[in-house]
Amino acid sequence: MPDIRPFCMPKWGIEMTEGTLAEWKLEEGSAFSRGQLLCLIETAKITNEVEAEWDGVLARVLVPAGGDAQPVGALLAVLAEPGTSAAEIDAFIAAFRPAEASAAARGGAAPAAAPAPAAQAPAPQPPVTKPLLTNRAISPEARKLAEATGLDIEPITGPGRDGRITLQDVQQALRAPAIPALHGTLAVVEEDAKVFASPLARRLAAQHGISLVGVKGSGPRGRIAKADVLALIPAPAAPAPFALVPNPPVVAPFDRVRKVVAQRLTQAKQQIPHFYLRSSARLDELLALRKTANLVLGSKATINDYLVRATALALAQHPDVNVQVHGESVHRFAHADIAIAVASPKGLVTPIVRQADRQPIAAIATATRALIDKAQAGKLAFEDMDGGTFSISNLGMFGVEEFAAIINPPQAAILAVGAAARTPCELPGGGVGFETRLALTLSVDHRAIDGAAGAAFLATLKDLLETPERLFA
Amino acid sequence: MTKMMYRDAVLSTIMEEMARDPDVVVLGEDVVGGMGTAGGPEAIGGIWSTSTGLYDRFGPTRVIDTPISESAIIGAAAGLALSGKRPVAELMFADFIGVCLDQLWNQIAKFRYMFGGKTRCPAVIRMAYGAGFNAAAQHSQSVHQILTGMPGLKVVMPATPADVKGLLRTAIRDDDPVIFLEHKALYATSGEVPDDPDFMIPFGHARLTRAGGDVTIVSTGLLLGMCEAAADRLAAEGIGCDVIDLRTTSPLDEEAILDSVEVTGRLIVVDEAPPRCGLAADLRALVAEKAFSSLKAPPLQVTPPHTPIPFARELESAYLPSIDKIEDAVRRVLAWR
Repeated sequence: MPDIRPFCMPKWGIEMTEGTLAEWKLEEGSAFSRGQLLCLIETAKITNEVEAEWDGVLARVLVPAGGDAQPVGALLAVLAEPGTSAAEIDAFIAAFRPAEASAAARGGAAPAAAPAPAAQAPAPQPPVTKPLLTNRAISPEARKLAEATGLDIEPITGPGRDGRITLQDVQQALRAPAIPALHGTLAVVEEDAKVFASPLARRLAAQHGISLVGVKGSGPRGRIAKADVLALIPAPAAPAPFALVPNPPVVAPFDRVRKVVAQRLTQAKQQIPHFYLRSSARLDELLALRKTANLVLGSKATINDYLVRATALALAQHPDVNVQVHGESVHRFAHADIAIAVASPKGLVTPIVRQADRQPIAAIATATRALIDKAQAGKLAFEDMDGGTFSISNLGMFGVEEFAAIINPPQAAILAVGAAARTPCELPGGGVGFETRLALTLSVDHRAIDGAAGAAFLATLKDLLETPERLFA
Repeated sequence: MTKMMYRDAVLSTIMEEMARDPDVVVLGEDVVGGMGTAGGPEAIGGIWSTSTGLYDRFGPTRVIDTPISESAIIGAAAGLALSGKRPVAELMFADFIGVCLDQLWNQIAKFRYMFGGKTRCPAVIRMAYGAGFNAAAQHSQSVHQILTGMPGLKVVMPATPADVKGLLRTAIRDDDPVIFLEHKALYATSGEVPDDPDFMIPFGHARLTRAGGDVTIVSTGLLLGMCEAAADRLAAEGIGCDVIDLRTTSPLDEEAILDSVEVTGRLIVVDEAPPRCGLAADLRALVAEKAFSSLKAPPLQVTPPHTPIPFARELESAYLPSIDKIEDAVRRVLAWR
């Protein structure tokens, strides 16, 4: 039989499904030699030249140049050795089946797709694999796979006689190394002469704390088997249904402090027309400055001490917020006495840092520390808590983001401070960065302070906190 | 518990059973150990020292020195057993079963079956087996694979003195013929042995000596210790091995092997007999058939090659399984891709 080969639409790349024959570089019937240009084929991406892979004759052109796109694998022409008869070409075309699925799905491009007898030999394909050159003993299937994949078989140590390589060896060599999930060792359950049980039954029994003494086994010669132990494992107890338990209150009458707090705050919330102003201040500079200041000055001022100082300075600039309400009159003060809310063992107490606008940070820190210590010890005196022109309540240490506090009469405003939080922000040059922000909520008594006045005070406070050098002025 | 050597566990069990049951009779080559020498009948003791003192205590009617003829020993044991005695016959070297194969294979193993269950043959045939003594191809073999393949015989391969005690007592009291294989290299090993005069270990009951979830290693006899050593080495790397001592190859504790492989998915059989048609091949086939779905890697065997046992020490040690070879097999099954 003469050498007749199909010339099909090639597949260049995984995405190529069809191509167009742009130009034949040979006339039908003309001879070509290996490496000679046969045709140009266009795909959606490129136009490529196709060279002959052997010496032969362009025996029949089935798809002329410039026609419709042909699926990958479609028969474009038949190549043959010189002297092949037209009848042999016809028979070859009749027997040809496109190998590529896409061509087959479209019925194939071969014009004569009549079914051919099965006896017809398939067309010899040009070899696509490199023959394996080795002296090693290797099974035929292993050789085929090694050739098709181009695997280097030399490192394989074949387990067969004389190191013969099997298909399994090649398949193993082609896979990635195994990383087995290990279970590790277990405790050996010692044998007990009184118990006749399989190793697994013994292990299961130990795991579930089941005694096998006296258990009748179903295994060979009455041995206790896995199934016998499994039958003994009690089913997990159903969770007890939910039932109500007695939940009586523990009655604790208000103590003196709580009575005062209850009475004053009820009065405040009922009688004072509160309104709330929310803002936040960038804290990064203050945090950096505090670190340096503590280092240089040797003080241990907390963020709260800086807050007291900033608030007092802002109040000094805004005396219309630094007020008390008594009946139908408003008392204005030149200096700020800042009450700080402290949780003491006896309840909420509000000791006062006097004239904080006139005290440097270090002095405020010392005064505050002393007041807090006294509060914790329950030793605050009346004069420590009497008066006050403004309050600060800070729950940031509990992670509270923000909250609104109740005004402590006769004062007319209270600042509620939340936690410092890392917050995304727009950077000066665009883009996103993070900064530390502190949530501030000012509760204001509208009888004495108007919205604009409160807002102006809050803006000053924010400004002071964000440019903290001024806190040392 | 009493600490004793493997060989003393053999001797003391025979001694106790002879004292308990007057039908127990010992016979074999040189079991008296000095008959005809100037020093008296027991001057030397049997070559394995597993019958020392028996003659002195039980006399010539129950401790019988035989001619150097394995067919005579086993033939006589068969007759004794058929006539109601409980013979404990000794083959000095298991290698010589070929000489008495008809008595073993066609007679002892078949009596109960061929006489329609109307007779029983409570014979114990003790044999010293195993390599490692530079004793060459005819005095070093492990023959259990031949005997395990013979229906009608029970085959016992104890690995510890305690197992010798429990299994030999079971063998002597058993009403069927039992082949009791003692590894020569284990005779001088010691271990704790229960003092209970009726301590018995049932046949077909494997022992789990190391527990782990990754690889199942099955072995018997001398090699068990190597398997345990390999498992201990690997445990340091977090690789857990179930080490199963079969104790008897017939009956076989199939359940212990399958239960374990169902957990680990990997099997290695370590055997001192050559690889073809042996215990290792048999157990791997069992697992391939009954636990195929659990397998994560092909079951491997660690055995000597298919050659006679070499004489030269270096060759003999290269021939035999070793801790390194077992460890390597574990790593290979774990590396299966």
